[in-house]
Amino acid sequence: MMAASIREKQTAALKRMLNFNSPLMKNNAAEPVWKVLIYDRFGQDIISPLLAVKELRDMGITLHLLLHSDRDAIPDVPAIYFVMPTEENIDRICQDLRSQLYESYYLNFISAISRSKLEDIASAALGANAVTQITKVFDQYLNFITLEDDMFVLCNQNKELISYHAINKPDITDTDMETIMDTIVDSLFCFLVTLGAVPILRCPRGNAAEMVAVKLDKKLRENLRDARNSLFTSDTMGTGQFSFQRPVLVLLDRNLDLATPLHHTWTYQALVHDVLDFHLNRVTMEESTGPENSPAGARPKKKNKKNYDLTAADRFWQKHKGSPFPEVAESVQQELDTYRAQEDEVKRLKSIMGLEGEDEGAISMLSDNTAKLTSAVSSLPELLEKKRLIDLHTNVATAVLEHIKTRKLDVYFEYEEKLMSKSTLDKSLLDMISDPDAGTPEDKMRLFLIYYITSQQPPSEVDMEQYRKALADAGCNLSPLNYIRQWKAFAKMAAAPANYGGSGAKAMGLFSRVMNTGSQFVMEGVKNLVLKQHNLPVTRILDNLMEMKSNPETDDYRYFDPKMLRGSESSVPRNKNPFQEAIIFVVGGGNYIEYQNLVDYVKGKPGKHVLYGCSELFNASQFLKQLSQLGQK
Amino acid sequence: MNTRRRHGSRSTEQGVYLGPSQTQVYPPASSPPVYQPQPPPPPPPPLAIIDDTMSCRDRTQEFLSACKSLQGRQNGVQINKPTLTAIKQRSDFTLMAKRIGKDLSNTFAKLEKLTILAKRKSLFDDKAIEIEELTYIIKQDINSLNKQIAQLQEFVKARGNQNGRHLQTHSNTIVVSLQSKLASMSNDFKSVLEVRTENLKQQRSRREHFSQLPVSGSPLHANNFGNSVLMQDESRRSGDVSINMDSKVSQQLQLIDEQDSYIQSRADTMQNIESTIVELGSIFQQLAHMVKEQEETVQRIDANVEDAQLNVEAAHSEILKYFQSVTSNRWLMVKIFFILIIFFIVFVVFLA
Repeated sequence: MMAASIREKQTAALKRMLNFNSPLMKNNAAEPVWKVLIYDRFGQDIISPLLAVKELRDMGITLHLLLHSDRDAIPDVPAIYFVMPTEENIDRICQDLRSQLYESYYLNFISAISRSKLEDIASAALGANAVTQITKVFDQYLNFITLEDDMFVLCNQNKELISYHAINKPDITDTDMETIMDTIVDSLFCFLVTLGAVPILRCPRGNAAEMVAVKLDKKLRENLRDARNSLFTSDTMGTGQFSFQRPVLVLLDRNLDLATPLHHTWTYQALVHDVLDFHLNRVTMEESTGPENSPAGARPKKKNKKNYDLTAADRFWQKHKGSPFPEVAESVQQELDTYRAQEDEVKRLKSIMGLEGEDEGAISMLSDNTAKLTSAVSSLPELLEKKRLIDLHTNVATAVLEHIKTRKLDVYFEYEEKLMSKSTLDKSLLDMISDPDAGTPEDKMRLFLIYYITSQQPPSEVDMEQYRKALADAGCNLSPLNYIRQWKAFAKMAAAPANYGGSGAKAMGLFSRVMNTGSQFVMEGVKNLVLKQHNLPVTRILDNLMEMKSNPETDDYRYFDPKMLRGSESSVPRNKNPFQEAIIFVVGGGNYIEYQNLVDYVKGKPGKHVLYGCSELFNASQFLKQLSQLGQK
Repeated sequence: MNTRRRHGSRSTEQGVYLGPSQTQVYPPASSPPVYQPQPPPPPPPPLAIIDDTMSCRDRTQEFLSACKSLQGRQNGVQINKPTLTAIKQRSDFTLMAKRIGKDLSNTFAKLEKLTILAKRKSLFDDKAIEIEELTYIIKQDINSLNKQIAQLQEFVKARGNQNGRHLQTHSNTIVVSLQSKLASMSNDFKSVLEVRTENLKQQRSRREHFSQLPVSGSPLHANNFGNSVLMQDESRRSGDVSINMDSKVSQQLQLIDEQDSYIQSRADTMQNIESTIVELGSIFQQLAHMVKEQEETVQRIDANVEDAQLNVEAAHSEILKYFQSVTSNRWLMVKIFFILIIFFIVFVVFLA
């Protein structure tokens, strides 16, 4: 077992910060101290997937406010700041100091604050005569967002800055690239500090990932050399496994595998991310509020936005986020049935109680029933919570199903799997593209791009013209294709990125199970596809590096060990033992498909742990947009 | 507010309070509890993980030194500005809230003690008086806390709108959090009392069980148990046993009296506990609807922002619509004007 997942570690760090940076006492008898939490957008993104308002309340946070919102003075309460050390944030803090908003200030910076900025605050504090009020100043090193137990992304606010588009645009200047790399390295460094481990770095040669690796190696070295101030002291004292087993951090570049992010998927979480608005573990869905129009007719139908949080506490989500969709639909139905049964049980008990109450004789029976009733009442909140979750998943799954049906995503998924595994196609690509019923132009573009990326030799000019025409007729924007053509020509040296493993899916016939009439999930016409385990390129690389397998694909990967005194340029790994823990980081954006694939891979290997991280998390349409931006130039 | 007090080593996992006992509530007459069956030391709490990964860096010193050097550079322009703001007097509200908080934590400590006592299953080492006393004290405490919180709420309401919006929410949240704490405490208290009642019931049944055995077995054994207080129920009911042992009759009778009073006291205790539970129930109901007022269990901090954004968007679309309607009206006006002019011309040209 790993000591603690990255989610637990980050949550613990946050809680410690909210407890004025002193270790937590898990003790509700302790005297409560009330405080105000001030954060900026970055801090908000970090906190919101991890701590709900309820937990903040339990920590004594009475108010949580954005730094740049209009805040009133509360003179007798301490304030905890959790912000990025940016220019405008510092200005705002100084302004707060001057206007004497709070009793005392605990300044926490998400990543390290520079000396000059610290001096800015100091001078403002002197000017406002508030030096004694600033009780603590801390660097928190928490500049990354944890979404799952084993998944993180770097940032959300300024993700355009480090997007795939930004890294790969042709007219990028060296200084821009430098800033991008520094941003990524800073966040990664924060991640490693929170993880409390110095990993061994591996990366392919000659791309953005290598630049990140070099910089990260340098930064780690600098930190380790200064033993007194090192942030990694704890791991030598033994936080469980890390003392003798170091993880490997594999840095990869998105250009390695462009097909996967465009792929249509079939697992629940990835589907939700693909077709719905899924953002920082929260789904936003628009539902129109029925056909009833207000009598005046002046007000339009209000679009109702519904938010659903898919959290770690949601057992159904935890269990099924990686399952193929038909299975999820079935499980939702089952959950619904068990819930109904429980509800009936409670109702039955109530009716029995009513009857028995009139029967004077059966006092013992009554007391027995009282106990039952008590237990039923105490189980009610649990039941309510269950109902909430079931409702949530019913709504989400219905919305997903809607998309699948209208866009025929099952057909796309099956077809793409076949393309990637190079099995025979039962329908020509041209037919798929020109089929007016199946999918949006975007879906067609994705399909064709996958075909183009995975094909061994590019189609002839004549064919190409035909395809272009068909795509244009289908209403596609052709600029992503332009970029992919350039990329393919450029990436000729990557001999076989196309090997996507054995056949992926097989149809289990039409979904034959007759659903009960009340069922919300009429899966008619949607193929019940079952996923077969196969490894995506990212997973294969990870497998090679973790198991120290020799493979031409990964043999020339560079090897960095920040703990070694002198940096070596060799790509020969020093230690030959297989790794137990690994962190995969994709520079240029990741997706839930790869994450799910890794999770499935780890399931087959007991004792191994893999963390997945990416510089940004995009779904296919966002990625396509970036590609088309690149293609327009 | 740095004067937070951390109580000593304490672990709530088993409801065991190992720190120094809070004896100010404890009557000195009842001998200090001797913990013979010392509960096993609690397993090292999971805090261990939290503690040794200090992933942050304290730069307070660096900040202070920066301040000092800056101050030195500024060289006494305004060094001796009186630090009047630093020692600001706290408002009544804060003081009140703090006091309640302290009382709450004290009561929690008492409750933990009671939990230990009540969970004890032993027949012979039953500290009935202590438990009763503690129960009474805690009951009083909860009552007074409840009143105090209500008072605090009144205070907030009375002060009402003369405060800023944020201050208002702040104080409301404090009240609510105090209430919920009290609610959870009374819940604990109730469950402890239930455990106690259960224990008493068990003890009684056990006593009956044990005291029946010798009677049905052999009367000789009863002699040995004669002194045992446990036997008295039985001996009273089946009188013949005690009659056979005439040498002990007088002693037995005396014991019966004693026993009677003992049982009486037990019954009283039971009643006491029962009434306490009922009282607690009412407090609960009071609290429940207050706490219910805020529903934020599953909210996330970015919810408000998104709401605001949504509202802004809605406002924007409304404005757009209004703009459209205005422009279309303008068009209408132009048309009417046009028609008027035509009529005017017609009138002027043909009728004049």
